[in-house]
Amino acid sequence: MEKKFFQTSIKDSLFTGLIALALFGPIVGLRTVAKNEVLEVHPKWFIVLIIVIVCAVGRFLTNLYIYNRDQKTGIQSSIGKSISNFLDTKGYQIALTAIIFSVIFPFLPFTDRYLMDIAIMMLTYIMLGWGLNIVIGLAGLLDLGYVAFYAVGAYSYALFAIHFGWSFWICLPIAGIFAAMFGVLLGFPVLRLRGDYLAIVTLAFGEMIRILLLNWYQLTKGPDGLTGIPRPSFFGLPFKSFPDEGEQTFHTFFGIEYDPMQRIIFLYYLILVLALITNLFTIKIRRLPIGRAWEALREDEIACKSLGVNPRNTKLTAFAIGAMFGGFAGSFFATRQAFISPESFTFIESAIIVAIVVLGGMGSQTGVVLATVFLIGLIEVFRDFESYRMIAFGGAMVLIMIFRPRGILATRKPTITLEKSSSK
Amino acid sequence: MSQKLLDVENLTMKFGGLVAIDNLSFSADKDKITSIIGPNGAGKTTVFNCLTGFYKATAGSMFLNKENERLNLKKFSDFKVAQKAGVARTFQNIRLFPQMSVLENLLVAQHNKLMDASGFTILGLFNSPSFVKKEKEAIEISKYWLDIIGLTHRADDDAGDLPYGDQRKLEIVRAMCINPHLLCLDEPAAGLNAKESAELNKLLLFIKNEKKTGILLIEHDMSVVMEISDHVVVLNYGKKIFQGSSKETKNSPEVIEAYLGTEE
Ligand SMILES: Nc1ncnc2c1ncn2[C@@H]1O[C@H](COP(=O)(O)OP(=O)(O)OP(=O)(O)O)[C@@H](O)[C@H]1O
Ligand SMILES: [Mg+2]
Repeated sequence: MEKKFFQTSIKDSLFTGLIALALFGPIVGLRTVAKNEVLEVHPKWFIVLIIVIVCAVGRFLTNLYIYNRDQKTGIQSSIGKSISNFLDTKGYQIALTAIIFSVIFPFLPFTDRYLMDIAIMMLTYIMLGWGLNIVIGLAGLLDLGYVAFYAVGAYSYALFAIHFGWSFWICLPIAGIFAAMFGVLLGFPVLRLRGDYLAIVTLAFGEMIRILLLNWYQLTKGPDGLTGIPRPSFFGLPFKSFPDEGEQTFHTFFGIEYDPMQRIIFLYYLILVLALITNLFTIKIRRLPIGRAWEALREDEIACKSLGVNPRNTKLTAFAIGAMFGGFAGSFFATRQAFISPESFTFIESAIIVAIVVLGGMGSQTGVVLATVFLIGLIEVFRDFESYRMIAFGGAMVLIMIFRPRGILATRKPTITLEKSSSK
Repeated sequence: MSQKLLDVENLTMKFGGLVAIDNLSFSADKDKITSIIGPNGAGKTTVFNCLTGFYKATAGSMFLNKENERLNLKKFSDFKVAQKAGVARTFQNIRLFPQMSVLENLLVAQHNKLMDASGFTILGLFNSPSFVKKEKEAIEISKYWLDIIGLTHRADDDAGDLPYGDQRKLEIVRAMCINPHLLCLDEPAAGLNAKESAELNKLLLFIKNEKKTGILLIEHDMSVVMEISDHVVVLNYGKKIFQGSSKETKNSPEVIEAYLGTEE
């Protein structure tokens, strides 16, 4: 028994080594160098050998210690269990701590411009994650084109703000409504699709929007992008170092020194509030009939129909509301950057947001936060090692999938309990 | 003679060349249990799928008679049969929402009523008193049914974690939560032990007698069929070969032949 296991493990690791050889042989082993205008091949077999050995031995070790279910000393059964337990039981405390921390974050001693920028970026992803969580986590519709709504929100915000000069608080809802309309537009053709087919169509939709933005030059300025998007003001008070004659600005109004950090801090709180609104809204709507219908639809569409739940309307509202929050986030992005171009709305953005939702644990709000901090943090940490970033990203996903196959926070709490509602 | 609840006339359903239902006519009474039996592949489930709008019947008509209207079921597509006509059904292989709690399963069944009360979500977002009241009522209704099937103590557990027999019962009361005129049950006793089977009989009789809901029952378990049905329709190869009371059915040579000829 023991010996047989050993044998299969060795076979398996040799096979892994072969795969590694096939993959890394051509990619790493054969390096072409241009010399005197001809390409020469400089083989690097030694590196390939090392990689292959690392892969094979690594596979052998994981086989022995992680996948070996009889052996209770595996990492999965000790560390993994305790982390799981902690996450499953302490979700509420984690959430509360995170909120308090994010409120005081800008005034912590170590907080600088760089950290603020990352925090703002993380909050944007968190908001997008929460928005997409409605579509994927609750309604179970795998949407790979979510960035399209982010783009629609950003562009409609920018166009209204530039051409009509309307303020942030007017353009924000307009952008949300536009994005929601595009959500419905996407929803109609995909009503009958599920799973893989749905994913492919939504992916195509995301690309269509991007290509539309690239080519509709009169409206979107194509690849040049839109510039001069008005910066947000603090309830009418702009952030400017040199105010025009007689103009009230943020620092003159409050009688303080001008500091460029003021605008950053304002942006930070703006996205924090927007994200928290998204969160509260989702928590609340999950407990309403529509939210329950979304989850029921995810579980079993045929059963829903047999109970008289209208699947068309239910799906369309999920697409529309999810898209709306994507649009809000897009508006924020536009006003923060003051410049947008189709480059910012590529498929990789959709992929990151989907990864955040899936790794966080489908439908879990706190999970989205943890996954964002983890993934975006990782990308930032590896910023200086450009070429290893994606390896780290992929590696992180593999790790999460090994230890928490259903996402970091996978336990679902009922939206209503008989115990509580009868004791009221 | 009082009016029938359901009239099925000359129903035919073809899948390509296969005639799954062939010119079938039968009717079902209000507060009666009508059983549809027949060997495997006879077309029983297909009858349900036509009635509840999952399939579009090739020919024929189906009418549901309410107090003062006669609804043509053919006009309703899938979810509208439940929503507008009040025809509820269960499935041969249970279709609960396994990762939602038992109580949530029953609340989804009351979706349309709650959705109206929540003012298409807007009133609900602000906890309007009218919505809160309606939701309380819905919980009461759920609790009423859970008490009847003895699952109140498991209300907050995932439906998928219930034992098989309880899942069957839950699916039936979930269908009852839409407040149907006609309840269609597809092999509810399949996989139940003798005790559970007896409890099921009691539940169905309760629904028939107290709730005055017409029941259409597909069943292979003859003890269930013989004990509780008022009327039996026997199908074979999509055709009706016999109808009558359970006693008449038991002694009918056609029925015995159909079963012995194909099954044993
Ligand atoms: N969607 C479909 N497409 C093609 N053929 C179908 C379809 N649904 C049912 N059939 C065929 O119609 C016939 C009747 O099937 P049905 O499921 O109604 O039988 P049943 O009486 O419910 O049998 P069982 O007792 O096994 O549940 C079968 O021959 C089946 O293969
Ligand atoms: Mg069947």
